[in-house]
Amino acid sequence: MALLEIDNIKVGYGGGPNILNGLSMTIERGKTYCIIGPNGAGKSTLLRAICGLLHPREGSVTFKGEVLNKLRTDEILNRGISFVPQDRSLFPDMTVKENLRMGGYILKNRKQLEDRIKEVLVKFPILNERSSQPAKTLSGGQQQMLAIGRALVLRPEVIMLDEPSLGLAPKIAQSIFDNIAQLKDAGMTVILVEQNARKGLECADWGCVLDLGVNRFEGAADTILHDPRIQELYLGKQYQNRQEKAA
Amino acid sequence: MNQFVQVLLFGVTLGGVYALMASGLTLVFGVMRIVNIAHAAFMIIAAYIAFFAFDLYHIDPIISVLITMPVMFFMGMAVYWLFFSRIKGAKRAGELTVLLTFALALIVEGLLGYFFTNVYRSAGPSYATEALYFGRFFLSAGQFYATLLSIALIVLLWAFLKYSRIGYAIRASMQNLSAAQVVGVNVERISMIAFGIGMALAGASGSMMSFLFTFYPAKHWEWIAILLALIVLGGMGSLGGALAGAFILAISSNLIGYYFGPTWSPITFFLALFVVLLVRPQGLFGKKLEA
Repeated sequence: MALLEIDNIKVGYGGGPNILNGLSMTIERGKTYCIIGPNGAGKSTLLRAICGLLHPREGSVTFKGEVLNKLRTDEILNRGISFVPQDRSLFPDMTVKENLRMGGYILKNRKQLEDRIKEVLVKFPILNERSSQPAKTLSGGQQQMLAIGRALVLRPEVIMLDEPSLGLAPKIAQSIFDNIAQLKDAGMTVILVEQNARKGLECADWGCVLDLGVNRFEGAADTILHDPRIQELYLGKQYQNRQEKAA
Repeated sequence: MNQFVQVLLFGVTLGGVYALMASGLTLVFGVMRIVNIAHAAFMIIAAYIAFFAFDLYHIDPIISVLITMPVMFFMGMAVYWLFFSRIKGAKRAGELTVLLTFALALIVEGLLGYFFTNVYRSAGPSYATEALYFGRFFLSAGQFYATLLSIALIVLLWAFLKYSRIGYAIRASMQNLSAAQVVGVNVERISMIAFGIGMALAGASGSMMSFLFTFYPAKHWEWIAILLALIVLGGMGSLGGALAGAFILAISSNLIGYYFGPTWSPITFFLALFVVLLVRPQGLFGKKLEA
């Protein structure tokens, strides 16, 4: 049985139109998925619908056989799905440690929470060094690490990351991708939305191409990476060719 | 010089009470982006409760915070649930909350006038007319106790926000509402509690008001003008800013009153509002808000 089954969901904001238009996807345990597609394809909306920030109007999201559709975010977090949103979404005036504490907000046991925070601080030594600094004083890369660390406090089975490399210098972005690879090695299931499709697919097992709210096509990540249609549409091959001709 | 210190002392003690009044207003704005025009009207409700508790049952107005705070806490939660939770996510929710709180202020004023008439009231515990001497300086005993209690309540509020689980959730919601949702904060529930706490602080302020100042149903307009000036100066949604604004304006209005005559004292607030909006619209400690 698939770990997470998304079946024909339709999702939109408020009274607006559907952003996801009958999207289906199957997520297997322990694999890394990279979701790519043009702006407005519904990538972020998909992640928000899985973690309960939005509720599907039709269709279903099933995790380990349980339908998540109507559950609140805290209930979904409790079942083992964590989300790192696009804007890094930290609490700027809280310290690094307080941010991590918020990551474990749904844990009622304080001792357990402090242990989990320690675990994360061991994993990210730089955060340990800065544990009593306000989050807003961290660099972009450190903030992203904190956002990931905050999601790890709950020891999720599935971690979803929305454009973790956005706005980071290439070298820093690479260290974030290395971190993501480690998550996979630790046995986590990773769902990654990435604007930098090439980098994202390189660290993934499976790639999905979203367009206009549906799963346009999917396949093994290296197949997708070398599929000419994708190269042209989403990976900037056309642009590359044009550059070559111009040169 | 002695006179100056005496005036300063009046200003500082008054500032403590202003700070208590403003803290609830700024908390509610910080979490929910609600500019609660009815904040002072709720203070007046609490002032009436404290007044009648003293008049009819001889309950000390300072002790009456034990009644006004819980009563206003639950009234606040009910008001939030009845009105504010319904317009959440509506188009122009920001403007709607201003209209809604304006309407609430009018309704409260009307009801209070209907039941208790527009007679000026003030509770008269013995300490309201006593003076305490500190060397060459003096303070009204009532003002002194009210300031102590206000500061104690503010310290309690701060500790609650800093250390309790709900306090963490409230601060998180103030700093980044969508991130709070992502980590599993039930934002709707936290908003209701924060609104209740804001009203409980208005309740305590009302208890203080009952013996420090005279009040009548329409008095809240004067108060809300002052309180809005305080929190705009400090930066809306910033608790530290509300405290700073309260002390700065209480002290300067007292000094201006002393040097230029009491008629000029109220102008301090509006002048400050004017200057802040021109020079630093986000206030001393506020953050620029996205439109």
